[in-house]
Amino acid sequence: MKKRWVSMLACVTVLSTLLSACGGDKEAEKNAAVADENTPLEITWLNILHTASPPTDTIKKLLEEYTNTKLTFNWVPDASKEERITTALASGELADIVTLTMMTNSSVRSSLKSGLFWDVGPYLDDYDNLAKIAPEVRAAASIEGVLYGVPFQKNLARSGLIMRKDWLDKLGLPVPTTLDEVYEVARAFTEDDPDGNGVDDTTGFGDRNDLRYSSFKTLSSYFGTPNGWKVDESGKFTPEFDTQEYMDTLNYSKKLYENGYLAQDFAVTAKTDQQQQFAQGKTGIYTGMVDISSLRTLAQDLQEGLELVPINKISNGDGEYHIWSEGSGVGGLMAFPKSEVKTEAELKRLLQFVNDLIDEEAFMLMTGGIEGTHYEYDENGAYKVLNTELWQADVQPFSSSRPSEISYTLKDANPEKQLANELIRENDQYAVFDPTVPLDSATNNEQGTELAKIITDATFKYIMGQATEADFKKAVQTWKDSGGTKITEEYEAAYKLTQK
Amino acid sequence: MKVSSITAPSNLNLEKRKGSAFLTAVKKYKLLYLMILPGLVYFIMFKYLPMGGLVIAFQNYQPFLGITGSEWVGFKHFIRLFTEPTFMMLLRNTLILFALNIVIFFPLPIIVALMLNELKNRHLKNWIQTIVYIPHFMSWVIIVSITYVFLTVDGGVINELIASMGFKKISFLTSPEWLRTIYIGQIIWKELGWSTIIYLAAITVVDPQLYEAAEMDGAARLRKTWHVTLPAIRPVIITLLILKIGSTLDLGFEHMYLLLNSLNREVAEIFDTYIYTAGLKNGQLSFSTTVGLFKGVVGLILVMASNKLAKKMGEDGVY
Repeated sequence: MKKRWVSMLACVTVLSTLLSACGGDKEAEKNAAVADENTPLEITWLNILHTASPPTDTIKKLLEEYTNTKLTFNWVPDASKEERITTALASGELADIVTLTMMTNSSVRSSLKSGLFWDVGPYLDDYDNLAKIAPEVRAAASIEGVLYGVPFQKNLARSGLIMRKDWLDKLGLPVPTTLDEVYEVARAFTEDDPDGNGVDDTTGFGDRNDLRYSSFKTLSSYFGTPNGWKVDESGKFTPEFDTQEYMDTLNYSKKLYENGYLAQDFAVTAKTDQQQQFAQGKTGIYTGMVDISSLRTLAQDLQEGLELVPINKISNGDGEYHIWSEGSGVGGLMAFPKSEVKTEAELKRLLQFVNDLIDEEAFMLMTGGIEGTHYEYDENGAYKVLNTELWQADVQPFSSSRPSEISYTLKDANPEKQLANELIRENDQYAVFDPTVPLDSATNNEQGTELAKIITDATFKYIMGQATEADFKKAVQTWKDSGGTKITEEYEAAYKLTQK
Repeated sequence: MKVSSITAPSNLNLEKRKGSAFLTAVKKYKLLYLMILPGLVYFIMFKYLPMGGLVIAFQNYQPFLGITGSEWVGFKHFIRLFTEPTFMMLLRNTLILFALNIVIFFPLPIIVALMLNELKNRHLKNWIQTIVYIPHFMSWVIIVSITYVFLTVDGGVINELIASMGFKKISFLTSPEWLRTIYIGQIIWKELGWSTIIYLAAITVVDPQLYEAAEMDGAARLRKTWHVTLPAIRPVIITLLILKIGSTLDLGFEHMYLLLNSLNREVAEIFDTYIYTAGLKNGQLSFSTTVGLFKGVVGLILVMASNKLAKKMGEDGVY
């Protein structure tokens, strides 16, 4: 510290010409630190925050100790990541590590492709944990064959339904296995007074203003809709919304909506409101199995006798199961901008840091916290959080920053959560991949997000009875005419190259 | 984006004068000219220099390459803007909402100010004024959230009321036909009281002798309002109208963005929200600059035209 002071003073006294020299000194200092494995490496990390507030320093300190680093987090709230990350990319105000989760966002893609970040592909095999990243995952995380960061490894497919088991039991309904049965549950939850209060105040399906992470996309994969795009043997691409299965899902959701089995204002409902509705016993079906523990926490003291059941296997009647995969198991990239990470030596130490985070000890710190303080293993060896509030404050924000969520499996002491975890792993077998994840389309990078709005709007309108089938087809045609056809052609061309 | 401030008047017609005359004037009023300096520097630094950034509207701007390194594409983005089907939608929505603002919202504060002026009980008047100001201090997030809680079909107060009276629930939030009503209603609720301030201030300076004279001529209250108060505050009204027209296409980004959803987009998407989603969220900086530039130019033309019109009609105008 003192040394710095002196050098700063020197900088101030000697004017402009020497300023650059001082900058150079700092750079040299940094390089020296990088070369010397024993001094802690200073790392800044632009990271996404999935909780309401950033974590306390407890875990950070232990992580620093374990990885021999000095960490500075720059947290970006998940809700504003699009603005913040795109602005950061545009202004070049980045950190040593940048968490990029929106891989389809056009500015993220164009900045990756423009060579703003290091290509880490050639280095991965030098690190024991990173070397284990499967070739499929590497391929899925690459753009035109180049890997611009360490992929966050996630389960292939995490989606599924959560239902009120106590309501099912009360109405004498089995856990549904087909779409028809799900429909029947939604009907019964709405009409047959599942909470037994004699008032018509329940709705079957809760939902929100999002087609992807809420019910629609999951239902659509139960119908067998391709994930994003369908590719036939000849390499012809068809967007998912141009398929019969998508139309079937539309009609199914429309029927749910018309009869009032689907929350009527879902198109303007936020995720927190949807969870609140579920926790307050207003709705009985929720999409997204990972939220099972947070739903239970929310419903504490509100719903007596609440029992939840996660469900992953729903067929459209033919006994086959499908579930859409988010990014083919890639949750984004930890990317290293060349503007911050100037030398290969520095990059190598950063990769070492990421590698260390995948070690079991670091993994447990970021997952459960400190044994005995935040969590413990019960007599069956099952993992149990001791103090939820403390865990939420100290540990939870780190859990979504883990470079790999799949390297270790914990047995959860909460049977509902444990079941949900098992089902998510089981989903691997039925996962439907999006063929365009490793492909690149210039038009899609530029206009894709806006074009997607045409389809999203039309889908909402169709479900809510504000558009006919002809209107929907017209929207699909508009999509094609405004650039969709071009996107299709570009994907087909890119696909052909990978098939060779 | 940046150009929204283009209409800020920097009323300096310095160049028009003859050079030598100008110099003597500067010498004569040294101190006064010195006082202009900070303002001048401010405008150059923060208003005019950033306008240089507008050149990216003619580029395929890549932040990492910078303005000098990015590829020049001429009018490509303008062509895209004017040929995209969304353009007509944006223009229509913006103009309709602007018209609603002028026709419905603009006269209301004047009427309220005149009504308040007629209140003879000072305490009551102050009390009412304070009450109507308060909504102005709430953010749009709060106002839109309150509206959501009131209007939602899934248990909203208004809809429960409608249902209890035996009518069918109305999905206010997802019907395009309700959007404009809600939009202008929220503006009235939030800004009505606040906007009366300036008119009330203008009314207080009306010469009392005029009222006395009118009274002598046998004018009743309404007559006095019509023939004395209203003409007296006419310049203020005209000035505010011109300023309002200048910000034609500024309809309140935050407000509209919060109201916008997939079902009302056809009537709710305006230039501001479009610039935000296209530019900041999708990273099409050049294209959204083009949209912003267009917006700014339209605003500038309108304010100049209305100013000219006002002067023709014998008013002062804003400059």
